[in-house]
Amino acid sequence: MLVSNEQILEALWETLYMTGVSFLFSLLVGSVLGLLLVVTRKGHLLENEPVSKVLNVIINIFRSVPFIILMVAIIPLTRLIVGTSIGTSAAIVPLVFYAGPYIARLIENSLLEVDEGVIEAAKAMGASPLQIIFRFLIPEALSSLVLALTIAIVGLIGASAMAGAIGGGGLGDLAITYGYQRFDTMVMFLTVAILVVLVQGVQSGGNLLSRQVRRR
Amino acid sequence: MIQFKEVTKTYQSGKEDVHALNGIDLTVETGEIYGVIGFSGAGKSSLIRTVNLLERPSSGHVLINGKDISKLSGSEIRKTRKDIGMIFQHFNLLNSKTVFHNVAMPLILANTPKNKIKEQVKELLDFVGLADQAEKYPDQLSGGQKQRIGIARALATNPSVLLCDEATSALDPQTTQSILELLRRINREYNITILLITHEMGVIREICDKVAVLEAGKVIEQGTVFDIFTNPQQPTTQRFVRSVMNDELPESLLKKIRDPNQNHAIYRIQFIGASVGQPLMSRISREYNLDLNVLFGNITELQGEPYGNLIVEFNGPASEIQKALADIRLNKVQAEEVRNYAS
Repeated sequence: MLVSNEQILEALWETLYMTGVSFLFSLLVGSVLGLLLVVTRKGHLLENEPVSKVLNVIINIFRSVPFIILMVAIIPLTRLIVGTSIGTSAAIVPLVFYAGPYIARLIENSLLEVDEGVIEAAKAMGASPLQIIFRFLIPEALSSLVLALTIAIVGLIGASAMAGAIGGGGLGDLAITYGYQRFDTMVMFLTVAILVVLVQGVQSGGNLLSRQVRRR
Repeated sequence: MIQFKEVTKTYQSGKEDVHALNGIDLTVETGEIYGVIGFSGAGKSSLIRTVNLLERPSSGHVLINGKDISKLSGSEIRKTRKDIGMIFQHFNLLNSKTVFHNVAMPLILANTPKNKIKEQVKELLDFVGLADQAEKYPDQLSGGQKQRIGIARALATNPSVLLCDEATSALDPQTTQSILELLRRINREYNITILLITHEMGVIREICDKVAVLEAGKVIEQGTVFDIFTNPQQPTTQRFVRSVMNDELPESLLKKIRDPNQNHAIYRIQFIGASVGQPLMSRISREYNLDLNVLFGNITELQGEPYGNLIVEFNGPASEIQKALADIRLNKVQAEEVRNYAS
């Protein structure tokens, strides 16, 4: 095997770091956008056609650019934010641009699943729009939101593997440089195995949490 | 008191205008149970939603206790809504919260202190008979129990008006009965004005004081439940009344009645109130020496008053039949010929 155990551990840590930090930022961006997507819809709490249209177009644009292109395209912006365009931290910026709009769509989907009758009942008891969002909409969607975000995390783990292209490191980088380009089957096998375990763990954790928040 | 004054509601559906309400004039007195009945698409749902502004009228006014609510905005609407409880066909409870939390919700929204919420929710759950279910979740309850939670929730803010949107339409007949009894109790014990919409005439007969029949966004007939049931004027109203007071004759009998070659004296006799108790028909038969053949008969109760309905064939000399009918009418019992009985 061409790599040491330490290298594998470091790559694992880089993957976790990239995924974790970019998830937190994309969650922040995604929840705001997702919530806005829902409430500005026609007939919803804060109906606003211009805002809704602009949001949809912007999100669709980001969702349609392949991640590998996005990564290169926003290099100037990355340099502005992180100070460099190479390395693990630099990879976080494109990851957020990739996952933020994705999470926005996932959250939009979950929130739309909430029975309109519940919102009507909330209005009928005199709840304000903010009360409806935080006391009715989000609690009712929470279980589904957790599952949606689990999908997002798994997606981020996958996307972070491509960060190797800008020197981002991580397990994917290791698999490509040593496993693929230098024909080290063992490294390839090991990194993929770790990723499989990682994804399984995240998914199981997500399922468990989703069940727990279904009733609170 | 709820007053509708020339209320209209027009929707845009594609390029077409849909007139859901076409000038509604209606008054619901304080303490009344008022039922609005109509087939689906008649505008019932829009009508009830203009009362708490879930839908805003396109024109006209809705007054609650004399106050015009149609022009209110924002926080004023929310304040008004707290005085109007509403229950729904599909209950619309929060599935992620316990029964306790669901009932407490309106109080939480109003920033009521925790110990007071606890006290009030317990009282409400006691009232609807679900005190022992407080820690359960809605999906662990039956439809009837869910509606009771909905009712408890609607009463939490001590409203003066309760709106019932097809509240029993998703329930079986037995559960419907118990929910209707609960609504009647709410009306009597708290003097809460109830406006309900339904497509079931049985619900109207069971608990309403007054009824309005809605068709194509218009009130086509209104009055006390007794009047509407005993003397419906419009064809739609007659269909609704017939749906629960089925007095249709079998086809073979109808054929016999319609036969122009045979002269059958067939009359509908309507007993109302005290006259139900009299042995009138047997006396008539004896006194005028007529053979009476009862083709149909039933007795029901409307708003606490007995109401009997007989369809009787009179056999005997025409002059005697006329005398007998005059006698019947003298006893304040209605008698009308049904020669051209329902087509």
